[in-house]
Order: sequence, then C-alpha cells, then structure tokens
Amino acid sequence: MILTVTPNPALDKVYWVDKLNTELETLMTRSTQSMGWAGGKGINISTFLARMGLETVAMGFIAGHTGRVIENRVREAGITTSFVWAEGETRTNVAVIQKGREDRPLVISESGPLISEMALRHFLQSYTRLVRRARWVVFGGSLPPGVPAHFYRELLKIAHEHKVKTAVNASGEALSEALKEKPFLVKPDTRERREICGEPVESDEQIIPVSRRLVSALGIGAVVVSHRVTSDMLITSQEIWDFDAYNVKLVKLVGAEDALLAGMVFQLEKGHSLIDAVEFGMAAATASAESPEQICCDMQCVQQAREKIRRVKLA
Amino acid sequence: MKIREIMTRDLTSVDPDTTVRELISILDKSGLSSIPVVDEDGRVLGIVSERDLIEGAVPGYFELLHGASFLPAVDQFSQKLREIQHDPVSLYMTRNTIKIDEEEDDLAVADLMIHKSLKMLPVVSKDGILVGMLRRIDLLKDLL
Repeated sequence: MILTVTPNPALDKVYWVDKLNTELETLMTRSTQSMGWAGGKGINISTFLARMGLETVAMGFIAGHTGRVIENRVREAGITTSFVWAEGETRTNVAVIQKGREDRPLVISESGPLISEMALRHFLQSYTRLVRRARWVVFGGSLPPGVPAHFYRELLKIAHEHKVKTAVNASGEALSEALKEKPFLVKPDTRERREICGEPVESDEQIIPVSRRLVSALGIGAVVVSHRVTSDMLITSQEIWDFDAYNVKLVKLVGAEDALLAGMVFQLEKGHSLIDAVEFGMAAATASAESPEQICCDMQCVQQAREKIRRVKLA
Repeated sequence: MKIREIMTRDLTSVDPDTTVRELISILDKSGLSSIPVVDEDGRVLGIVSERDLIEGAVPGYFELLHGASFLPAVDQFSQKLREIQHDPVSLYMTRNTIKIDEEEDDLAVADLMIHKSLKMLPVVSKDGILVGMLRRIDLLKDLL
C-alpha cells in the first residue's frame, strides 16, 4: 500500500480564458472552459496510483463543505481515505490560464483551516497505525495553520522506524525540517520561489551544487528539481542526469509536477531504476500537461509521451 | 459482487484510549454517528456510537425510554457527560460487534443487515484489519 499525506488539501479550480481583462472599465472576464478537482499534492499522487491499479490511502486534514466534496471525489477515484476532520473550511485554490500563456497561470492559493491540537493528535494516531502497512509514504504540499514546521520530520521518523520508503515534495521550513530525517526522495517545490532551503536555484549552475549538498551532506537518496517548464534534473550521490520533454502541447501545468512524482513512485514500486523512474515520471507529467484533466491516468498516453523525453548524463 | 467492491473506502477510526470528549469532536466534524475502535495494527476491537455515549452518561436510559416517558433533566445529563468526558472510549464501546470479511458476497451481507437492523458494519481483511465500512446505502446502490 502507498500512503500519501496531504496536510492541506484543496479544491482546485482551473479557468481558461482568452484574455484576462485588466482595464478598469471591464471588471469581468468570461472563461472559455473551467474544471474543478479534489487536489493537493498527495491526493493527486494517490489519484494517479489508484488509476494505475495500486492500493493507496490518502491522509490529511479536511473541513467543512469543501472537505466533504474532496472526500467524496477522492473515494470516487478508488482511493481509500483516512482524513481527519478539522474546524472551518478546506481551501479552494484558483488557477486562471490565459491563452498563449499556459506556462504562466495566475494562481491564487488560500492558507487553509486552523488545525487544533486534538486534530493533530488524532492524525498522528491514525498515521502511526497505517504506516505499518505501507511500502511508501509520499508527503506533499504546504502545512495549514496550526501544524508545526517539524510535522513532516516527525512523520518521516515514524516511517523510517518501520523501514518504509519516503518521498517529500514541499518547500520552505517544512522542507528544511523534513530533510533532517533524510527522506529517500526529495522533489523541492520551487513554484513560489526559486530556492531550496534558502539557497537560490535559478540556473543549472546553482541547482547542481545545492542539490549535491543535500545528497552528500544530509544523506538524501535522490533530488529531482524542475528547472525549466519541461526540464527536470536528477541528482544522486553517483550521477547527475538532465531530462527534457520536446514538442509539448501545453494545456496547463497544474498537476504536472505531482504526476512526475506519482510516475516515479509507480515505477520504483515496480522495481525499475531511479533513472527509468524519472523518465516515466516526466512522461506522466507531460501527458498531464497536455491534458485538461487534473492528472492524465491513461497508460497509453503516458507511454506515448515517453517518446518525447530525452535524457542526458551530465556527471 | 464482493463487499470490497461496494464498501465505502474509509478508515476513519479511533484508538481505545481516545477520550469521550475527543470522540464527540470527531463524530461532530465528520458527520458520522458511530466509529470503529481499533488496536495499533488496525484490528477492530469494537464500535462506539453516539448511543453508547448517551448510555455511558445515563445508564439504562434507552430501556427506560421504552417503558415510560422518562427523560433526565438536561443539566443532570450534562453533568454526567462532563464526568465521563476524560474517560477512554474503550469503556463505552460495543465489543462484540459484527465484522464482515471483504471477500463476502453482497446478498449474504444484505440479508444479515436487514435481519439484524444494522446501519453500518466494519469491513475487515482476512487478518481482521479494518479496510472500509459498509453502509446500508452502499448495498442499496449496489442492488438497484
């Protein structure tokens, strides 16, 4: 079983518009298409894995009407749930994608409901039970108010005590704290700020030394960094690989990063190498970026997208 | 159809040492009226419901309700509830609860739920670990 932890799930709403009106006299912009999904990094990863036939359990904090919508949609996707209910309302995140600027969506993200100590305690009890049955735990996304920065670190420690493999996709202090527990796989979230643990990662020249430090000094198994819209870099203690996707017909980027990690975990779970896993993950991300669906879960599309991926060994 | 194909894939549950106060909060926010109590491996030990808590605060309340129009004063009930709020739910849960195997057939379980007037049942794997819940609505949807 693969356990995913999404502390701050969201209802993701995506609007496609021909042009985002900014003139003062035109206050309204009509969308040409819109879609809504139960989202959050871990949930997106569970969605992919469940559709690919793997058993997966989604954990996190949900609240209010939006929480109920998310719970129902997650279960409809064939995912087992173990959510902890909190006061307030689960957040709604909005992305507006302008025609011709699909790589630069306007994203508005809420902070999420306040999580009480009681809810945290209940989460920890449920997690401690479930982690014993897991082969992987994937942690993803921001922490809602009330959840301490060392949350991922604490959960990683429990997972490692049970010899469970771990992957983290996070940013800021939550990531810095998580790294202290040496997760096997790290996919830093650099969408908000192009930095990892306070160090800038704007260029390839900056990504490599920062990631190498994580691998060598902290003992992280592998780091994967998205450094251009369609390029990812894999850094391990032995090698550095660059992966590029060509001829991508971009529809949206929302969910693509999660498809990357989901594809990697799927492939690693099937016994493939880390390099094959990143290539497959990039194909899953490319298929999702070319689809209006949240995550493309069609194996045929993913395999077709794999033909667009080129990999180069840098070191 | 096998039960695992129609059950609600939810593992919401509590430890036996969860307090009554915490349980009330969990039931309130989740909208559930009962919840499985499981051990550290996820094996079902029992089920605890709103009814169990009322019984815990005012023992014999439901029996009295059938015989006479008995209703304790609200402040008396509130006082009793406050007294047990820090007790573990294991003191009030129903222990000999019926569990169904995920591999069982829907028709056999439908028959069981109708005859025993059951609203919800925990579904377990062959080693007794909670894997989901079967609600009456799951069966109704399945059998339609």
